[in-house]
Amino acid sequence: MRNQLKNISRSRGLENAILLSILLFLFNMIFPLHDTNVLAIINELLVFLSVFFLYHYVHQFLNTKVDSPLTLILNAGILAALIFFIVSIANSILGSADNSRGIGFFNSLFSVLLAFVFIGSIVYIFSTFRELFFLRQKRDLSTFFNTMLVFFALTFFSNILVLFDPSFDYPQSAFYVVTIVLICLNSTRVSWIAFLTKKQKYYLLIISVILSTLFGINFATFINNSIMRQIVYTFSPGLHTLMSLVMIYGTINFGIIFFTTLFHLPTAEAFDRKAEEVSSLMDLTNLITQVFDFKELAETITTITTRVCNSDSAWLVLKSAANIELSSVHNIGYVDADKITNNLLGSGENDYDSIGIIQYDSIISNTNEGGQIFKSIAIAPLKVQKKINGYLFAARHRENNFDRDEKKAVQAFADYAAVALENAKLFEESIEKERLEKELDVARDIQKKILPSTVPTSNRLEISALFVPAFEVGGDYYDFFELSDDLLGFVVADVSGKGISSAFIMAEVKGIFESLSKIITNPKELLIRVNDTLKRSLDKRNFVTAIYGIINKKNGILNFARAGHTPILLCSGERIESIQPPGIGLGLDYNPRFASSLKETEIQLKNNDIIICYSDGITEAKNHKEEDFGYERLDTIVLNNRGKSLDLISNAVMKELSLFSKNHSQHDDITLVIFKWNQNN
Amino acid sequence: MAEFNVNLRGVGSVSVIDVKGYLDAHTAPELENIFNKLLDERQFKVVVNFDELKYISSAGLGVFMAYVETMRENKGDIKFSNMKENVYNIFDLLGFPILYEFYKEEKEAVYKFGDQR
Repeated sequence: MRNQLKNISRSRGLENAILLSILLFLFNMIFPLHDTNVLAIINELLVFLSVFFLYHYVHQFLNTKVDSPLTLILNAGILAALIFFIVSIANSILGSADNSRGIGFFNSLFSVLLAFVFIGSIVYIFSTFRELFFLRQKRDLSTFFNTMLVFFALTFFSNILVLFDPSFDYPQSAFYVVTIVLICLNSTRVSWIAFLTKKQKYYLLIISVILSTLFGINFATFINNSIMRQIVYTFSPGLHTLMSLVMIYGTINFGIIFFTTLFHLPTAEAFDRKAEEVSSLMDLTNLITQVFDFKELAETITTITTRVCNSDSAWLVLKSAANIELSSVHNIGYVDADKITNNLLGSGENDYDSIGIIQYDSIISNTNEGGQIFKSIAIAPLKVQKKINGYLFAARHRENNFDRDEKKAVQAFADYAAVALENAKLFEESIEKERLEKELDVARDIQKKILPSTVPTSNRLEISALFVPAFEVGGDYYDFFELSDDLLGFVVADVSGKGISSAFIMAEVKGIFESLSKIITNPKELLIRVNDTLKRSLDKRNFVTAIYGIINKKNGILNFARAGHTPILLCSGERIESIQPPGIGLGLDYNPRFASSLKETEIQLKNNDIIICYSDGITEAKNHKEEDFGYERLDTIVLNNRGKSLDLISNAVMKELSLFSKNHSQHDDITLVIFKWNQNN
Repeated sequence: MAEFNVNLRGVGSVSVIDVKGYLDAHTAPELENIFNKLLDERQFKVVVNFDELKYISSAGLGVFMAYVETMRENKGDIKFSNMKENVYNIFDLLGFPILYEFYKEEKEAVYKFGDQR
């Protein structure tokens, strides 16, 4: 029921208000004189309901304007002035005329219209007071205000009692007094004044004193036995009481506002600065999450520091291991700022772990040349996790020192700068990381395309090749070259270094081997030529290890040379042997030393002999104790699995390897090329 | 993770670099800094003491390759000493003993520089 009522009054406020106003209007046109009590009571009810609905409507409408209390006050003031003018004019025109001129049509029309103007005005003014009351309140104070509303209503209706018995007026007086007391209490809720800017406070000070007086005069006119009082009182005694109460409310409220503002004036500037500090910090927080360019942020920080911390200049320097670099300046030249910074920090003995203040008297002469004389400088470190990455300076021409709050503000901005700097760094790192990952993708792609997709097959020579890339492309390369019907060339190589650079070298190596293998059929000669070619393009610190061999598929003769690569494993019967002919890596030295170091080796393969070429990704794989997988483990696995198919041997090696180095990421590419000679086929 | 330490000291006219821990692509720049410093000071006679080195990667080897030419052009050299067997095997596999001088003791290596004088 109550909610329904609320709904009606809220949602259809305007319609209800208009409807009741029309009813009130018609009622008064039909019965210009409320000469019986019934008529008077009906009239009072209509007036009350009109006020009630209008109040609900206006209060919703004003709710949207709460952000500018001064506008609200100004509007209320204009209405108060309107009432004042109507009353004054009416008094001067009608003042002498007696009110017993009879009840003409125009007379009653005039008084009803006047009443509407008054109702509208006081409802608007009252709603304004309501908004001011609830403005910036932290607690729910609606009980206080609603109690007052109830007493307003009680005072309104107690007028009816007087109609029945003129001597029965003490309840009305009692309610009236209580309402005024409540008004006084509620008028003290003016905390919103504190949040005004200094300028607004001055403005409010003037307005409030004018309005307080205006409301006071209005009240006096309504209490006096003026013509206005008679017109309104005749129309509705309740309305008259309501008007006088609202006028009292205005007088008291604006009076209190005046004095409160007056007392707030001395702190206005400090409050302004605090408010600016807070809003600047908020802006900075936004900026930090949006802007990743530290330079831009540094500009903002120095500008804000200058403004908020009452300083004349501000600048920001970044400190790296070796040097101090100016990042941004405000209101000071780069040269000056640099000079002062070096003066203060150059010696290196002061590292200003927390904010420091320097009374700069002693070094004035040093800074004089630039035209900037600073007498007080605040230095705040940009600290992240106890590491100082730079300093924020705020400097003053004036003698007065930075107070505690100002120091805190400078430090706060320095902290923001520190966070922003860290952010920018992380952002850059993540971009770099992304770039590296893209690069690795490219490198992996190159490697995949370089390595042969199939292995050559022949009935006497069985071949299996296994390649497991490392996350960072390791630079392993292997390939097969069908040199003739009988001869098969193969290369297993490892380019030093990782990533895209080694992938490119790998591509070059492939090109060289591919073209030279067609011309030179001697492994040693071929490697010498490869070295000559590579040495020209290889960086000083890069090298390539390789084994190049040729197998004769007809007679099982293997010819190979080794250039720094891991040795070849030969598993013959139950014997396993590592064959490591001398030879230095490709790119380590020029001819003739390279050529003389190389030794060609020839092996006559026997039936079921297994030849294994591998990369150091296998032997140098590490376990959690940082131990190498080593040669012996590999030998054992091959020996134990020698009877199985080549693919199974590879699998066995990989299985053991992953068991050995579990919990340890694969560091280097793994290549395993296995040949098996089947004499009898 | 893997740690690496490098220390430079002078023994007579010879500079001795002590390397310690894991020398790989990440730590190689530290060693390069030392070599750059030596070039700045025109110190071309270098002995690298591998006594406490646990592991060397191809990037670590690359550092010596990058500087040895300059040293030799200026009548200096890079000589290696006190190498553990596992580290020596890596050098050996690549054929470094053909190109560089390896010594068991640092003293020997330093002494060899004296010979050339």
